[in-house]
Amino acid sequence: MALLSVITGRLSQAFLLIFVMSLVGFIGIHSVGNPVYNVVNIETATPEEIRRATILLGLDQPVWRQYLVFVQNVATGTFGTSYIYHQPAFGLVLDKLSATFELALFAMLVATVLGLGLGVLAGTRPGSPLDRVIVTSSVYALSVPSFWLSMMLILVGAVMTGWFPPGGRGLTANLLGFDWSFLTSDGLRHLVLPVLALAIPNIALIARLARAGTVEVERMEFTRFCVAKGLSRRRILFHHTLPNISLPIVTIVGLQFGGMLAFAVVVESIFAWPGVGKLLIDSIQLLDRPVVMATLTFTAIAFVALNTLVDLVYVVLDPRVRIST
Amino acid sequence: MKISTFKPTGFKMPDRASYRQFLTMPNIVLACYVAVALAAPLIAHQNPYDPLQVYGWEASLPPGTEGSGGFNYLLGTDGLGRDIASSIMYGLRISLLVSIVSALAAAVIGLTAGVSAAYFGRWVDALIMRVVDLQLSLPTMLVALIAIVTLGPGIDRIILALIIVQWATYARVARSVALSEAGKSYIDAVRTMPLPRIRIIFRHLLPNSIAPAMTLLPIEIGHAVALEATLSFLGLGVPLDQPSLGSTVANGFQYLMTGQYWISLFPGFALFGLIATINFVGEDMRRIWDPRSRSI
Amino acid sequence: MSASTTTTPLLEVRDLTLRHNGRGGQTTIVQNVSFTLGRGEVLGIIGESGAGKSTIGNAVIGLVGKSFEQSFGTIRLDGVALETLSDRERRKLRGKTIASIFQDHTSSLDPLMTVGNQLGETISAIHPGLPRSEIRRRTIELLGWVGIADPAGRHDSYPHQLSGGQRQRVVIAIALAGSPSIIVADEPTSALDATVQKQILDILRNLVDTIGLSLILITHDMGVVAAIADKVVVMKDGEIVEQDATSTVLENPKELYTQQLLSAVPRLHLSPSAAHSQPEEPAPILVVENLSRSFGGGNIRGLLGKPSAKFALKNVSLRVPRGSVLGIVGESGSGKTTIGRILAGLEKGDSGKVTLDGRARDISRSGDEGLLGHVQMIFQDPALSLNPRMTVAETLRECLRFTARKEGPRNPDEITRMTDRMGLARTLLSRYPHQLSGGQKQRVCIARALLARPALIVADEPTSALDVSVQAEIVSLLKQTVTESGLSMVFISHDLAIVQGICDAVGIMKDGRMEDFGPSDFIFGRSENAYTRRLIDARPKIFTH
Repeated sequence: MALLSVITGRLSQAFLLIFVMSLVGFIGIHSVGNPVYNVVNIETATPEEIRRATILLGLDQPVWRQYLVFVQNVATGTFGTSYIYHQPAFGLVLDKLSATFELALFAMLVATVLGLGLGVLAGTRPGSPLDRVIVTSSVYALSVPSFWLSMMLILVGAVMTGWFPPGGRGLTANLLGFDWSFLTSDGLRHLVLPVLALAIPNIALIARLARAGTVEVERMEFTRFCVAKGLSRRRILFHHTLPNISLPIVTIVGLQFGGMLAFAVVVESIFAWPGVGKLLIDSIQLLDRPVVMATLTFTAIAFVALNTLVDLVYVVLDPRVRIST
Repeated sequence: MKISTFKPTGFKMPDRASYRQFLTMPNIVLACYVAVALAAPLIAHQNPYDPLQVYGWEASLPPGTEGSGGFNYLLGTDGLGRDIASSIMYGLRISLLVSIVSALAAAVIGLTAGVSAAYFGRWVDALIMRVVDLQLSLPTMLVALIAIVTLGPGIDRIILALIIVQWATYARVARSVALSEAGKSYIDAVRTMPLPRIRIIFRHLLPNSIAPAMTLLPIEIGHAVALEATLSFLGLGVPLDQPSLGSTVANGFQYLMTGQYWISLFPGFALFGLIATINFVGEDMRRIWDPRSRSI
Repeated sequence: MSASTTTTPLLEVRDLTLRHNGRGGQTTIVQNVSFTLGRGEVLGIIGESGAGKSTIGNAVIGLVGKSFEQSFGTIRLDGVALETLSDRERRKLRGKTIASIFQDHTSSLDPLMTVGNQLGETISAIHPGLPRSEIRRRTIELLGWVGIADPAGRHDSYPHQLSGGQRQRVVIAIALAGSPSIIVADEPTSALDATVQKQILDILRNLVDTIGLSLILITHDMGVVAAIADKVVVMKDGEIVEQDATSTVLENPKELYTQQLLSAVPRLHLSPSAAHSQPEEPAPILVVENLSRSFGGGNIRGLLGKPSAKFALKNVSLRVPRGSVLGIVGESGSGKTTIGRILAGLEKGDSGKVTLDGRARDISRSGDEGLLGHVQMIFQDPALSLNPRMTVAETLRECLRFTARKEGPRNPDEITRMTDRMGLARTLLSRYPHQLSGGQKQRVCIARALLARPALIVADEPTSALDVSVQAEIVSLLKQTVTESGLSMVFISHDLAIVQGICDAVGIMKDGRMEDFGPSDFIFGRSENAYTRRLIDARPKIFTH
């Protein structure tokens, strides 16, 4: 019952989200400018050439018809052809996917492990010097704008010390039909700085959540009761506190992972990491509507999928959701 | 334990006698930031965006160089010869203006929407909350991008885009606070009296709902500063002739690799310091006003 | 009472003094407390909030926080001074020798773990290396022992699937898992309904008698002490006022404070008295016929969307004669609050007829504007019943101003006259609610209700959030007011004795139905309804006459 309602609820949300995104994105791109000027050479093009290019891109049609064509393209899964690269737009997004995926995955892994560790460390000793250091650092870490953090990482990690390359993916190896950086040592070195740039704010976020959760759970009656039962601190931490703080953490990890998957825009552009986010920014600047729409739709789907996953994890983790009385 | 739910518990007014608690380090630093932003035209050596005051041949000078304008480039100059220190002060004006105006406007719109949703219920509630949920289910960066791309460049546009990004948070919080207040028996008590509905809302419900929601304000201003800076960094934010701190940092990015670190380092520090200060102020405010609220 | 006078007592607390290091310096929470507990004995520690009774319990278990300091005295278990033990040694005592039962059954169990596993982990902490099947067997055995039906089936249930009483049984089972010699029970039954409370106390008493357990029972409730304790320690402000055998304390209290505590306990009189009998009934002010409300059915959002509790009502009928008080008694979930809220127009009913003062009320929607002000409500928690941003004067003035419309302008002096009548000092008028005590707040609420000149007052558990001594004052104030001004009232409560003290007629509710209805002396004296009898029997005999 719980599973079914989660899935149907999320599905209806997905359709609504995709519909709204497609509409907003479509009108938005339309209102910004005429993509034709990015396709032809503005200085030399004759009015005749511009007219021909407009018809070729289908931009001579009324807006509602263009939208219908777009919807048709979505339904067939191609999202149309890129104005700039002359390739199917969805193919372009898929090509960039592995780069973004590994970046986000490693960043989230680092953030979850470190964030949870630091948060529980602080939360089990509220008010201690260690706790204060962790809480204060987390405010600083959450205050750094990610573009500046990335720049500082390049300044320190690449320009000043030369330890890591300042950008790019490095060597990649193929696995399951996608290219991955983490399979080569050169690629791994390229991963370090962008992963750090993405992970640092998330370490802080997860640490704060974990700390707040730990403090709250430790204050609850059942934790005191566990102490009174004669359980060891270790057993209480791993069998009672951690499961009880895991719910909000799972939510934030899911949300942030989704955000990174689709919109590590800033970090990807600064580190010249050829991922989905960089593709989106480039396409927006070039008014490459099919690619923008493909990216947005992909994002929406990825987001809803992750939200659904988080809900399902909730169902698994929380018996109050799983079994209603 | 869901992070999306705001628990308006244990709200208490700060004690009037202990006004000294407002003399904290973050508050003082924030006041300095605001003072510098307000006084920028008086204290800055040059208006970096007035071509007549900038000496183009004094480009990319390191910090501490004596300039021909009769003053010292304490923090160096950028690639066009503009004094970095002055750029920071002028950038601060735009950053603060954009973020404070957008956060306040978003607060007003969000609170109205949230309390209306709670009050009218039924389809008004469903409609508002559907939009809010949809928007909050997406990362703020995405919403900001869509908004700014649709609206186009310009200071007014970026303010509008930031309002669009932020209002939903206030709306959700205001609605949950209003609903929880409405469930308390003092509202039940006035409901059994022949009071006009409008009085119940404005005299009883709203005053008790606004304050907890307003503790969000500093945090949202901090978000707005960061978001505006990021958009400007991506070249989607404020126009070039009115640069904020974010676009000043972006200007220096290309010089980073060649070792001219100061062009982006100092504006970046100023920006980071501003956001951190605002966040610490927000942190204190929440601790004082809403001692039991969960800090995230 | 105790048989172990010659041997050393199991637990001896001597001159115990505990100080708390807080922000405002050191405060003494417990001072010079001494008592002993023998094997198979039940010791009750009773006191009002802030008496330091819970701190003593925590000190015995070893759960006082680091901010506490045991500056003087000793706690000896079997002759061993506990304060000399290391943290590790103390932890070994917990669960095995000293176990505990906490008050709040909703939060003493981890919501994410099955009750069987929570019991099992206690067993395996005490007997490491026990095979799983054996742990499971013992777990089921213990669950059965504390009176849980179908213990094997309940093994894999989560806490939220159990009722309050069942959860508290599981907590008791966990406490018993290590076969401890002492159990410290801190308010073990105060969150439970009276009938369940009695069952839990019976289980505890039975355990003490059969397996020779010793029990420290910390409570604010004289009834609980009377039901099972052998000895009582009465505490006030961290010090012992009086200690003796239970029967001695209850029947011959030496100290004034103990006498006050005892006299504040409402008593139930089962012999019929003539005081409340009314030869002929005047015309009713309120008639309710076949009122029904389905479970969460229909739109019950009312003005602002939040119904307080969703309990069904099934064909409830009642009548309140003009100038009389009707008591509605029931346990949690019986629907008694829902009736009150429907009468006050805060919630809707599905079907049925409500006639107030000769006029039919529209129950199909909440907020029937034609009748606003005719029914006023007094709520359970006075802390939530006043707008925190309005002074007392503002609250009362608002009430006067907006209820004035139905009968023309009213004299502002009425406010001060009313507060005088409520026993509120005039200086309190300029205060905000958080500057008032609980009792004062409730008086303001009563003043507000009366200023509206209602035809009927609905009081929903108006005393249950207050301390025992304040409870008595508020009840007598309500009683006096009603008699003086000839008002009619519906008084909703879970406490039979309070209801008997104030009501002319009583309705007993259970699961949304009116189980029993009649004049007060009939219900308490002669009613043969099984549920009514059960409610009466659940009360401690000593406070029933």
